[in-house]
Amino acid sequence: MTGHGPEDRSDEELLDAIADLWEELDPPPDDLAEGVLARIETNDLDAELLTLVEWDKELAGVRSVTMLRAPDEVGTWSLEYLGPGFRVQVRISRSQRQARLDGWVVPAQPMTVFLTSVGKNSSTVETRVGESGRFEFPVTPTGACRLTFVSDPSSSRPLVTPPFWI
Amino acid sequence: MITFSDVPSSEHGALPDSRSGARWSASAAAFTAWRAGDPDALEELVRLISPTLWQVVRATGVDRATAEDVVQNTWLALVDHADSVTNPMAVAGWLCTTARRDAWRVSKKIKREMATDDDVLGSALPSVAGPEDGLVLAEDKVVLRRCLARIDARCQALLRMLAAGPRPEYAEVSAALQMPVGSIGPTRARCLEKLRTELVSQGAS
Repeated sequence: MTGHGPEDRSDEELLDAIADLWEELDPPPDDLAEGVLARIETNDLDAELLTLVEWDKELAGVRSVTMLRAPDEVGTWSLEYLGPGFRVQVRISRSQRQARLDGWVVPAQPMTVFLTSVGKNSSTVETRVGESGRFEFPVTPTGACRLTFVSDPSSSRPLVTPPFWI
Repeated sequence: MITFSDVPSSEHGALPDSRSGARWSASAAAFTAWRAGDPDALEELVRLISPTLWQVVRATGVDRATAEDVVQNTWLALVDHADSVTNPMAVAGWLCTTARRDAWRVSKKIKREMATDDDVLGSALPSVAGPEDGLVLAEDKVVLRRCLARIDARCQALLRMLAAGPRPEYAEVSAALQMPVGSIGPTRARCLEKLRTELVSQGAS
């Protein structure tokens, strides 16, 4: 035997090859970093993170529930988030030029809702929850966004959704 | 290009392997920028190192959802304890060590709760649950995978763990696999030898 058979490969080369193999066999979710960034941000806010419990199954590219990517085309889709004693349904409609968001919190309660785009040029719009529990943002930011709910009076920690895509 | 020979191994115990060199220097630069007040640098650091943390954590045998949690908690730990990383070149090693320890702690807890008598970590090839269906591997990887699957599960688990991210210290592996520290070196050598034998018999190059 001469030269470069497997018996000549060093331990380190073999371990590197094993690491390369596992990187292919077991890649992380595409949105691993987004999930991390959302957790860091939520931690900074000292808020209660809501959990996504329902979403339109046709939403494209859903690999984990941390970060939902909406389809690129126009349309309407729904999300539902759950927290301790709190549920919110969200409906997003997107046309060519802009998007709107309608929501409904259960139980209905006086709250201020903030819709914030996540990222470098972050912007926030706010509205109030009506007596029926409904709220609306006729025009929304686009891209990765999150909703924050603050009770009036703000007795408890704010509730915040993981980022979702508009 | 920064060389790694001047990184004090005593600080965190994990030195970068040759594969991660460029990522390690970039992570040091991003960490330094973040600490100097550039908030975007943290995002860069997260994107750079999270894939490595994923491999380190999954190598301990935890499921994918748990692995995501562990990776997230590791970053929260860095945000809370950034002061304890005094050498920027050590940040990637610090993250990997923190992630590995947390993953082992969690996987022990899960195993206790499931009350299995299985001492083999879940990272052995036949039981892998992950998005590998439909994956097309290069020929050399197909052979390596086949050969790995032919050695015992404990060897597979040990080799995956030793291979992921910066090479872990034996003391850490010892605690996770409940093997005496002194036997890890010989076991590693024995496992690699078994793998070499399989590769030779498969005619690998």
